[in-house]
Amino acid sequence: MSTYQLYPDSPSRGKINCVKRTDNDGSIWCIPFSEDNTDYQEYLKWLDEGNKPKAADK
Amino acid sequence: MSIIKVKSRGTDNVGGGGRRNLLMNGSMQVAQRATSAAGVGASSGYFTCDRWEIETGNSAGRLSMAQNNDSPDGFNNSISLACTTADTSIASNEYFRLQQVIEAQNLQSLAKGTSSAKQFTLSFYVKGNAAATYGIEIYDLDNTRHICSTFNVTTSWNRVSITFAGDTTGAINDDNGGGFQVGIYLHAGSNYNSGTLSTSWASITTANRTSSSNTSFYDSTNRTFFITGVQLEVGDSATDFEYRSFGEELSDCQRYFYKVEGASSDRVGIGGYVVGASEARMDVVFPCAMRAAPTISGTGTAQFDGHADSADFNCSSIIIDEVPTGIVSGLGIQIATSGMTNGHSGGLRFRGSGGTLSFTAEL
Repeated sequence: MSTYQLYPDSPSRGKINCVKRTDNDGSIWCIPFSEDNTDYQEYLKWLDEGNKPKAADK
Repeated sequence: MSIIKVKSRGTDNVGGGGRRNLLMNGSMQVAQRATSAAGVGASSGYFTCDRWEIETGNSAGRLSMAQNNDSPDGFNNSISLACTTADTSIASNEYFRLQQVIEAQNLQSLAKGTSSAKQFTLSFYVKGNAAATYGIEIYDLDNTRHICSTFNVTTSWNRVSITFAGDTTGAINDDNGGGFQVGIYLHAGSNYNSGTLSTSWASITTANRTSSSNTSFYDSTNRTFFITGVQLEVGDSATDFEYRSFGEELSDCQRYFYKVEGASSDRVGIGGYVVGASEARMDVVFPCAMRAAPTISGTGTAQFDGHADSADFNCSSIIIDEVPTGIVSGLGIQIATSGMTNGHSGGLRFRGSGGTLSFTAEL
């Protein structure tokens, strides 16, 4: 089961429009909030199922 | 005066007068991710040859996958699958497919959903360790319709050719989403094979996606499966495989996956600049426009070399700076680092062996 976590704000840009996914094998993915991206589509589906990403590291 | 003769030909086997093969990397030439992978089967994904995905669920079966040079005359590569963990107790929800999804806007020559819908033919070279029968499904993702068939495998390379009817129902969107999912069913539970195989176009019925009489690839650790020369073309018969140069295939595949990597002796890199003591940005220019804003993933370590400054970091910590819109010809990325001097220029360098940065926009 993959886990999702939000990114901390960028010092210069502010909010980051991506989410971090960590897979079972430890691989890490930065998924852009872009409707055509199939990883983002899966993330939206995961949210629709009532899940919530972990808060960003501080 | 010269006379130019124009030979008249039918349209059944002409895919718009250009390239015939609607699939990419059908000869398994390109393998940007890896040339082999072990323990495949726990989750879906792309492991070896570009554009060819393992789609699986709920099975304990595992396999090794490789870009293999065992191939029929005229080819140099195939995809090989070898069962390493058998699964003979098949639960209803198990499935395992080798598949490629074709971008919808590349399928318009099929005239699907019109009264002129074209027949099309799927062909490929295949062999295995023993006789077997597997399933084929053409899944129209825009209209959730499918048409299916089966094919036989022997211990020798044989070319399989299957012609499918045109479908006058359900036009394929002219966009960058998934159009056809061309799937080879190698293992399936009753959820997928307890009905009647859908040999004519129909709305998806899960139980009709493959045949209950098919072989399970996971029935023994002796089981192997080899495939290459995969072609899907408009028309009622298979023509010779359409060979493309490595450069053409690589460029096609890089619309969906692009990888930057370097060994310790390389200075492959991405130019950038420092925007603060702890933040640097780089601009990646893709060799061809990607299908969508890509997901990024890194392995190993890299360095950001600025004027008089240098910092190491894990490639997995690289994130997207701005999400592009429109034609995705490049991507801004950034790293959180330390010890940088604001305003200096520099570059991301992969000096450590194994450092990679991947961009994925698969379907």
